[in-house]
Amino acid sequence: MEKKHTSSSYEQELQEVKEGLLQSGALVEEAIGKAVKSLVDGDTELAHAVISGDRRVDEIDIDIEERCIRLLALRQPAATDLRFIATAIKVNGHLERIGDMAVNIAERVVLLNDLPRIKPYVDIPRMADIARKMIRDSLDALVRQDLDLANRVRREDEKVDQLEDQITRELITFMMEDPRRIHPALLIMQVAKNIERISDHAEGIAHMVVFLITGRIVRHARSMGEEAP
Amino acid sequence: MNSRLFLKIFGCCFTVAALAVLVAAVFLSRQMSADVARRTRVDMKAQGQTLALLGRDTIATQISSIAKRTDLRITLIDLSGNVTADSDDDLAGLDNHLNRPEIQQARLRGLGESIRYSRSLKKDMLYVALPIEGAYLRLAKPLGEMDEEVRSLHRFVFRLSAIVLLFSLALAAYFSWSLVRPIRAAKRYLEQVRSGERPNPPSARATDEIGELVEHINGVVNELYGRMRAAQEERQKLEAVFSGMAEGIVVLDENHRIEIMNRRMEEMLLDRRPSEVQGRTLLEIFHSSALQDAFRRLQDRREPVTAEFTLERDPPLILEARMIPLAGTEAGGKRTVIVFQDLSHIKKLERMRIDFVANVTHEIRTPLTAIIGFVETLQSGAVANEETARKFLSTIQDNAQRLNRLVEDLLTLSRFELREGTLHLENLFLAEVLDKVLAVVGAKAGEKDIKVVKEIPEATPPILADRDRFAQILLNILDNAVKFTPNGGRVTVAASSEEPGFLTIRISDTGIGIPKGELPRLGERFYRVDKARSRELGGTGLGLSIVKHLMRAHQGRMDIDSVLGHGTTVSLRFPVAKETR
Repeated sequence: MEKKHTSSSYEQELQEVKEGLLQSGALVEEAIGKAVKSLVDGDTELAHAVISGDRRVDEIDIDIEERCIRLLALRQPAATDLRFIATAIKVNGHLERIGDMAVNIAERVVLLNDLPRIKPYVDIPRMADIARKMIRDSLDALVRQDLDLANRVRREDEKVDQLEDQITRELITFMMEDPRRIHPALLIMQVAKNIERISDHAEGIAHMVVFLITGRIVRHARSMGEEAP
Repeated sequence: MNSRLFLKIFGCCFTVAALAVLVAAVFLSRQMSADVARRTRVDMKAQGQTLALLGRDTIATQISSIAKRTDLRITLIDLSGNVTADSDDDLAGLDNHLNRPEIQQARLRGLGESIRYSRSLKKDMLYVALPIEGAYLRLAKPLGEMDEEVRSLHRFVFRLSAIVLLFSLALAAYFSWSLVRPIRAAKRYLEQVRSGERPNPPSARATDEIGELVEHINGVVNELYGRMRAAQEERQKLEAVFSGMAEGIVVLDENHRIEIMNRRMEEMLLDRRPSEVQGRTLLEIFHSSALQDAFRRLQDRREPVTAEFTLERDPPLILEARMIPLAGTEAGGKRTVIVFQDLSHIKKLERMRIDFVANVTHEIRTPLTAIIGFVETLQSGAVANEETARKFLSTIQDNAQRLNRLVEDLLTLSRFELREGTLHLENLFLAEVLDKVLAVVGAKAGEKDIKVVKEIPEATPPILADRDRFAQILLNILDNAVKFTPNGGRVTVAASSEEPGFLTIRISDTGIGIPKGELPRLGERFYRVDKARSRELGGTGLGLSIVKHLMRAHQGRMDIDSVLGHGTTVSLRFPVAKETR
C-alpha cells in the first residue's frame, strides 16, 4: 500500500473504519435478506435469529464511532480525511438504524407467521432486494469514491416508494373486503414501511458519499429547490 | 569502433613500438653523425699528411688550387703564429694563430684538432693542424658540409622509422582487434540474451583464455535457457491447474487485498473482470460478514479456517470458503489463499433428499390413513352391515394395492437409480409385447371409449430389451395416455427407424396435454403436473421417473412433447437388436 501519510498506523486506522462500515453493511444487508426470507418461508426461527443478530451491528456501530472520535481527537485530520471521518460517522448511524429496522421487520414477521397468510409475498421481497442493493451500492460507491454509482443509488429510492404505494393500495382493498384481514394487513404495511425507510437511509449514505467526493451537501437538494440528480 | 579495450591494447602496443623506434632512431642517428665526424677527421688528417709531403713551399704557392681540389681551407702558419699563406683570406687582418687550440696541440703532440666558430668565415669549422718544416699546416672544413651529410642520414632514419611505425600501427590494430572482437561478440550476445532474444551463440574459435571464456558464457547461457524453460513449463502446468480447477481461488496480498483469482472465481462472480476485483478487499467483493469473520479468525490464529456463506447474485451461490495462510513469503508477508467451493449443487441434492423422504412419507400415509380409518369403522360395528362392509373392504383393498404399487415402484426406481438393476436383454418384437400390454390397458381404454391405433410397419426390426421392463415401460406410458385422455379420444402407437441402430416408438394421445414449463420436471420423483387429479386417478407419481431410468438402463432415451389441450407425444428410442442391424 502506498503510504500517503507519515504514519502508516493512521492509514491503518482509516482503513479499519472503512472495513467496519463494510462489515456493518454486509450484516444489515444479510439481516434484511433473512427477515424477508423468514416472512416468505414462514420461518419464525430465522426471524428470531435476525432479532438477536442485531447485537453484532450495535457492537460495530459503537466500535466505529469510538474509532472515529479517537481519530478526530488524536490525529486532527484535515481536508479529505476529515471529510471521510465525518462521512463515516453519519454512514455508521444510517447503518445502525437500518439494522434496527431489519429487527422491526423480523418482529412483525414473528407476529405475521402466527396469522393466516392473506396474500403471497411478491412485492415485499422485490422492495427488499432493491433496498439491499442500494445499501451495497452506496457502500461500494463510498469505498471506490464512485460519484456515478452514488447518484444512481439516489435515483433507486423512487422505485421503492412506488412499490410501497402499490402494496398499501392492495392492502387497503384487502382490509375493506374482510375486517379479519386488518391485523395482518397492518403488520405487512409496517414491514413495507420499514423497508421504505431502509431505502431512505441507503439514499442518505449515498448523499454522504456525494459529500465525501465533491464536498457538496446534497441531502436536502429537493426541498431546497435544486434539481435532483 | 567505440571500444575502450581496443584503444587500451592498441595504445599499449603502439606506444611500445613507437618508443622502440624512437630509441633506435635516436641511437642510430647519434651513432651515424659521430661516425661521419670521425671519418671526416681521419680523412682530413690523411689529407694533411699527404699535403705535407708536397713541402711547405709548394703548398704556399699552390695553395689556392690545392684548396679548390680538396674542397678545404688551407692555412700555413709559421712557428711564431703568423699566417704565411691562406687559401681563402687575405693575410692582412689575420691575427696571431699561435694560441689557437689546434696549433697548440700540433706543437705539443704533432697533431691538433678542434671545432670552433671561425670569426673570419662566420661558420662552425673543423680544424686539423700538423707541423711541417718549421711551420704549421692547418686544414679547415666547415661543419655545415658535414651536417649536410648527417642530415641526409637523419632523413633516412626518419623515413625508416616512419615506415616501421606505420607497420607497427597496422599490426597493433590487427592484434588488438583480434583480441577485442570475440569479447565484443560475447558482450553483444549477452545483451541480446538479456533483452529476451534467442540469438545464435558466438563461435569460440580462439583456443586461448578468451575462447574459453566465450565457451563458458555459452554454457552458462544454455543452462540458463534450460532452467528458464523448465520454470516456464512448471508455471504453465500450475497455471493450467489454477485456471482449470472446479473451485474458485483467490489470493490475498499482505494488505488483505485481492491479488489474483482464477477463471472459475470470475465465473462465480458473474464474469467480473480481474481488474475490477484486484486490489479490493473481501468485504468489498463478497459483502459477507461470515466470510469476514472467518478471515479475522484466520488472522488471529494463522491456521486454516472454513466458512459457509451465500454469494448474493442471480442465482445465489452457497459457497464454502477455505482459507489457508500462505507461509514462506519474505518481510513477514501474510498472504492468504482462499478456495471457494460451490455447495449449491450439494445443497440442492440435500434438499431433494429431504423432499423425497417427505414425499414418500406423505404418499404412504394417505392410503394407510384410509385403511386404518375403514378398519376402525368396521371394528366399531360397520362389519354387521354386509353391504357397507363389502364397500369398505374394497376401498381398503384399493388402498392396500396402491400402497403395494408404491412400494413396488420405489423398489424398481431405487434399483435402477443406483444402476444395480439387471436387464435380461433379448430380441423383442414391439407388436408382440404391445399386444400383451394392451390386454391390460385395453379394458380401461374400452371403458372410456378410447380407440387405440397401432401404426407398426411389417418390417419393424426387433429391439434389444428386457421383456418385463419393456412391458413395464409401455404399460406406464399407455396407462398415462389413457388416464389423461378424455372419453372418446384416441391413443396411437407408432414405430419408425429414424436413426440408424435405433427404433423410435411414439405414443401419442389426444389428451389434456402438459404445459411447456412443466416438461423439464416430468422425470422427477413425485412430480405431478396436476397433483389432485393424478392422485385421484391412482398414480404414485413415480411412473415417468421409472420410465426415464429404465430407458437410460436400456441405452435409450425418452422425450416428451406436448401441446396443452391437444395431446402429448412420448418418444421412446430403443437400440435395435444386433443381428438385424
